[in-house]
Amino acid sequence: MEAFEPNEPLTFDTLMLPHLDAAYNLACWLLRDPHDAEDAVQDACLKAHRAFGRFRGTDARAWFLTIVRNVCYTRMRRNRREPVEVAFEDDLHGSMLDPADANAVAWNEVKGEMLRKALENLPGEYREVIVLHEIEGLSYREIAAVAEIPIGTVMSRLARARGKLQTELLSQTGKGSSHGM
Amino acid sequence: MECKDIRLLLEANSDGELDPVRQLELQAHLRACPACALLAKGLDARRDALRDLLPRHGATPQFRGKIQALYRPRAMRRRAPFGWQIMNLGGLGASLALAVLVGYSWGTSRSRTNGLFDEAISEHVRSLQAGHLVDVMSTDQHTVKPWFIGRLDFSPPVVDLADAGFPLAGGRLETIDGRPAAALVFHRRLHSVNLFIWPTGGSAVPVHSSAEKGYNAESWTQGGLNFLAVSEIPAGELDQFAEEFRGRTK
Repeated sequence: MEAFEPNEPLTFDTLMLPHLDAAYNLACWLLRDPHDAEDAVQDACLKAHRAFGRFRGTDARAWFLTIVRNVCYTRMRRNRREPVEVAFEDDLHGSMLDPADANAVAWNEVKGEMLRKALENLPGEYREVIVLHEIEGLSYREIAAVAEIPIGTVMSRLARARGKLQTELLSQTGKGSSHGM
Repeated sequence: MECKDIRLLLEANSDGELDPVRQLELQAHLRACPACALLAKGLDARRDALRDLLPRHGATPQFRGKIQALYRPRAMRRRAPFGWQIMNLGGLGASLALAVLVGYSWGTSRSRTNGLFDEAISEHVRSLQAGHLVDVMSTDQHTVKPWFIGRLDFSPPVVDLADAGFPLAGGRLETIDGRPAAALVFHRRLHSVNLFIWPTGGSAVPVHSSAEKGYNAESWTQGGLNFLAVSEIPAGELDQFAEEFRGRTK
């Protein structure tokens, strides 16, 4: 059942700590504050360490990130800085989703700072799928495990998230050029 | 496949998530259809831009060091019990360290029930020591219950047990067993009872009571929810609390 090398010790630090950067990155993007993110990751480590005896899976990163995500969402609800639920958009059938035309943006002219701002403006549920997929390189299946949603929802949410990111970018550049004129 | 079918697959293809058969079909279509090929090119450009340009926030060396010191056993040191390693390290509040110590030292048995009880007791201790007992402070069940709406994906039962000697003090959000949970707080003289409530989600907590280092805990399941009450009050009184709560939430 376990997919580890038999001589590799299955301890908390060998399995979970390699994913500390991934954990911190997710927390930072979700909470949008480096100190909150450190607190959340520390809290998540504590919870993960206590629950480690119940870790039965083979995907330590997804397991750890699930806990980090839950801790972050609990904090976001507490702080009430933003609504954390995506309104019913996921329920739309996949077939109704027309993929946004990615050619609407001149991607080779986009700067990292613009992209960062655009992503920070997206709701949490959209932000996290982009962070998990584009930055952390998680597969659809892994994202489904972390966000506790079906794979079909991962696909439609990612498509919507990228579409919204594009809209954000276009509104940024639109503003920029109208000022410039 | 027609263009409209192809377009629904383009994004998954760009993400490398298509199975090989459909991937081949799609590539054959793209060679023959300039319109779809243009869309695919845009998706690839977007994918590359996102991957290359979005910053990854890395943990600072200080933070990494702190976490490693907490959770990485030191080869040079005689293997001390984990709790003592924590106590030797600065950086964390004493309350947090004690919560870990308490939680860990009881966690020698790895069974699910014991794990859950350890976790709940640690949360109880932490809520007392961190002075973070409640997020919503109210003795009114009609204030506490609505507070959870929108914060949790389930609605925990809330009752005031003041006439039984357990006045409701409020509620807060917790994470138990890796998922969001409601914590109701009741007072008992100068003590507190934490009642953790979360959906069973297919893994019901067994009916169980235990006493560990001065704390008593009791669990039950009702209406698709797990309940776990923790307090430092005597086991008999906690049992009375559980009976009262169960009786009034049937």
